[in-house]
Amino acid sequence: MNGLPVRDFAALAPVAILALGALTLLMSEVFLTSARRGYQAGVTLVTAVLTAVSAIVVPPAGAIFGGQATIDAFSVFVTVVICLGVGLSALVSAGWLHARDAERGEYYALILFAASGMVLLGMSSDLLVAFVAIEIMSLSTYSLTAYQRRGRRPSEAAFKYMILGAISSALLLYGSSLIYGATGTTLFSGMHGGKGAGSMLLVAGLGLVASGIAFKVAAVPFHAWTPDVYEGAPTPVTAFMAAGVKTAAFALLARIFLSSQTGAGVADLSFSQILTVLALLTMIFGNLLALPQRSVKRMLAYSSVAHAGYLLVGVVSAKVEGARSIALAGVLFYLAAYTATAIGAFAVVGAIEARSLGGHESRRDWDLDRFSGLARRNPLLAFAMTVFLLSLAGVPPTAGFMGKLYIFKAAVGANLIPLAVTGILTSILGAFYYLRVIVHMYMKPAEGEEAVTATPSMALALGGAVAIVVVLGVLGDPLIRLAQAASAVVM
Amino acid sequence: MNLLTVVTFVPLAGAILLALIPRDEAGQHRAATLVFTLITFFLSLGLWLGFDASPSAPEFQFEVKQPWMSSIGIGYHVGLDGVALLLVMLTTVLMPIVILSTWSAVQDRVKEFMIALLVLETAMIGTFAALDLILFYVFWELILIPMYLLIGIWGSQNRLYATVKFFIYTFAASVLMLLAILFVYFHDGNTFDYVEARNALQVTSEQARFLFLAFALAFAVKVPMFPLHTWLPDAHTEAPTAGSVILAGVLLKMGTFGFFRYALPLFPEAALTFRPLLAGLATVGIVYGALMSFVQTDMKRLVAYSSVSHLGFVMLGLAALSAESLTGSVYQMLNHGVSTGALFLLVGMLYERRHTRAISQYGGLAKQVPWLATAFVIVTLSSIGLPGTNGFVGEFLILSGTFLSRLASSTVLATVASVGVILGAVYMLVLVEKVFFGPIDNPENRHLPDLSVREGFVLAPMILFIVVMGLVPGPFLAPARPAVDRLVQRFQQAEARLGVPTSVGTVDAAVAARPSLPPGRAF
Repeated sequence: MNGLPVRDFAALAPVAILALGALTLLMSEVFLTSARRGYQAGVTLVTAVLTAVSAIVVPPAGAIFGGQATIDAFSVFVTVVICLGVGLSALVSAGWLHARDAERGEYYALILFAASGMVLLGMSSDLLVAFVAIEIMSLSTYSLTAYQRRGRRPSEAAFKYMILGAISSALLLYGSSLIYGATGTTLFSGMHGGKGAGSMLLVAGLGLVASGIAFKVAAVPFHAWTPDVYEGAPTPVTAFMAAGVKTAAFALLARIFLSSQTGAGVADLSFSQILTVLALLTMIFGNLLALPQRSVKRMLAYSSVAHAGYLLVGVVSAKVEGARSIALAGVLFYLAAYTATAIGAFAVVGAIEARSLGGHESRRDWDLDRFSGLARRNPLLAFAMTVFLLSLAGVPPTAGFMGKLYIFKAAVGANLIPLAVTGILTSILGAFYYLRVIVHMYMKPAEGEEAVTATPSMALALGGAVAIVVVLGVLGDPLIRLAQAASAVVM
Repeated sequence: MNLLTVVTFVPLAGAILLALIPRDEAGQHRAATLVFTLITFFLSLGLWLGFDASPSAPEFQFEVKQPWMSSIGIGYHVGLDGVALLLVMLTTVLMPIVILSTWSAVQDRVKEFMIALLVLETAMIGTFAALDLILFYVFWELILIPMYLLIGIWGSQNRLYATVKFFIYTFAASVLMLLAILFVYFHDGNTFDYVEARNALQVTSEQARFLFLAFALAFAVKVPMFPLHTWLPDAHTEAPTAGSVILAGVLLKMGTFGFFRYALPLFPEAALTFRPLLAGLATVGIVYGALMSFVQTDMKRLVAYSSVSHLGFVMLGLAALSAESLTGSVYQMLNHGVSTGALFLLVGMLYERRHTRAISQYGGLAKQVPWLATAFVIVTLSSIGLPGTNGFVGEFLILSGTFLSRLASSTVLATVASVGVILGAVYMLVLVEKVFFGPIDNPENRHLPDLSVREGFVLAPMILFIVVMGLVPGPFLAPARPAVDRLVQRFQQAEARLGVPTSVGTVDAAVAARPSLPPGRAF
């Protein structure tokens, strides 16, 4: 290697911009004289926009640093979706934190650091780079979970998240070492076909890596942390995690799973089987466990598990010849749709919940009864929530429906009928618990005049999310084309 | 711009406009909604007048085919055959009447109510107009949301149970249809276009049977066919009058229309296999619905069960697959929309006066409200199929068409179904007798106001249709003929492919050979 690989560094611009934005925020704390931190959400938003623009403008460089990372249409798509998540969550956070007088310097910086890890994860094509990216992302989200540190729940949630996250990292790392032992390389591209293909060592390694990623995407049976963490974390953080972590982790999973050159082989087959089982379990139990929840926040946490199941169906389908491009494009589209929908839904939860800070939170904060009569108290908020819930349930004409249509179409095309049937049947369960919230909002009398936190920035985020959900549901074709172009390069 | 597209989306444009009118202006909301439904109706008259019902005319008219989500094979393809045209007309005629009927009944959240009705109208017209499987599915599911809100917000006491049951029943049945649609996509040369799919579909007979069942389940729940009907009495009873009228008038037809347009022509071989089952369940539904109506104490529930019975006739006619029975079924779809819609309107008017649906609370009303009673009797006569009313034409075509059809044991089925006609007369006339005749036992029934002018305007078109469609059925039957003939032809071709003796159409030849029976042509 002679000299600095300038081209390779330039290709990392999106990651660098996010990190720079985070550092700017931290530095500004030093010079800050007043306690007013309203500008920070703005800086975060601008950083997200700049990152997205840089990702789109800078021509994809392909494999960089000897193939350890890949900048292609796929990573660009993932980067933009993550930036969308960052931007929406920043807007939601602004109002939420302000109402609780909880704006402190590190919040937005942590969001941006986490985002830089996520974006890097979408680019990584090497097990070690992926590990580093996961750790950047995870450490930031652990801290964000404990942001409201005075309460009991945030500490519990963050601790649980960190311990289980550490175990998943260990699994991932151990799996990586086994794969290295079998194939002599940590590059994704070297994992299949070449040396060591078909050895049990490789199968075991892939299994462990899959388990590690399954933790991050909250697939059953590695989902146990999800409800507590999602419920305990500050609501805007939950929104950000639900969308961002899922997007980044699925990008990684898709790359590892699909980087195969040859296609067939024992290792691939077993990887497919592992993911199929995970998908089935996740769809069935994610939906079943969401069913009895009275806390809307917890219900959305389980719903996030269920959606991981549908996404897994897309990933599994992508392995089948002939269904590849549409399956992976479906996953990408689904991730974009889920980002807007989930952040929107959690934002409404954040607007409804009590403003108390500290040790008094209880499940009641997010109880269904708090949503009673919302349609009368705040019709626009109720309407926005209805759109998000219908999208989560997969009712047309919403982005969620198009995403499901896309993924199930891929599954049918890949002849994975059992997966498609399970997905369809479990989405009926989904209709039950999503509808219950709508019933409370529109059809039950209000129990009291609960205060609703609705600031202009929150309204902007909700308006944007509703627009995205509806437009993607009705006129999603351009995005589908982009997703198809993005998925074509991973083949 | 294509007239059909305009008719489809004018109500939606109205809904968007309504969203901008301030909440407190209930009067403006009502007036604007009425105007938009009337505009839709007048525009749809252009469809009626411009439709060419000659056999040589193209199958689908007012057709538009444009790319929509083309990257995954979904197009915006709409068009009308005669049956769809009749049902679109039924929708556009009913909507202004429904709006007028809710003028004073709905006082709470008028804005949302009217928006829901307008969105519903677009979704209903779109369902009939769609010629792309996914577009059809989108409109089909879009109906659920406003209907769910209509029942859940403006319904009566038990509305939450009813509306969730309605949603889950129909949603659960439809998602399986979505799966079948996706499967079709991969076996018809990768398209969701209905016309192309119908011509190019290549599936094994086993696959076809599964696909047929998936489609049939979605439609059978909507119809609703026995034993999938249990959501209907609850939904009808709890829905506000406007919801009941639309539910009975249009939504149930979407199920039978689905059979006619999708389940039967897409999978004729499989449909032939399941035809005895459909016919059997339809006949059971006719008698069961009638018997259940007989024992109801709640007026709306009675009318709801009568719908199960009436829609059973339609399904029997579809299963019999003769030109006469199919035509009768199409006609009966319209009749049921008019007469049961009118019945729900009348029950709603009684409810507005007395705030109860219990039959036992009424009695001797004829002297108090002679005009209302007259209207009720006329509608009842139409509902039980008295000659001279529209109901007679439809039921006669279905029963004679079924009797003479080549369906296995068709004579038995038609005979049993005829018993349903008699039972229908019994429970409806008993209802009329209990409500309107006899002594006035309940003092609250004295001094009730008779029909207002607005209510007169609501009922007059319905009664006009009952009489006109009973005396001059020709213009209403004509558009359906080409579509019916094409369906019969399709089944004859399917049987030719299978190499089995034909079992569709009527036994004209056999009838001609037996001089004891009159010639089988019913019209």
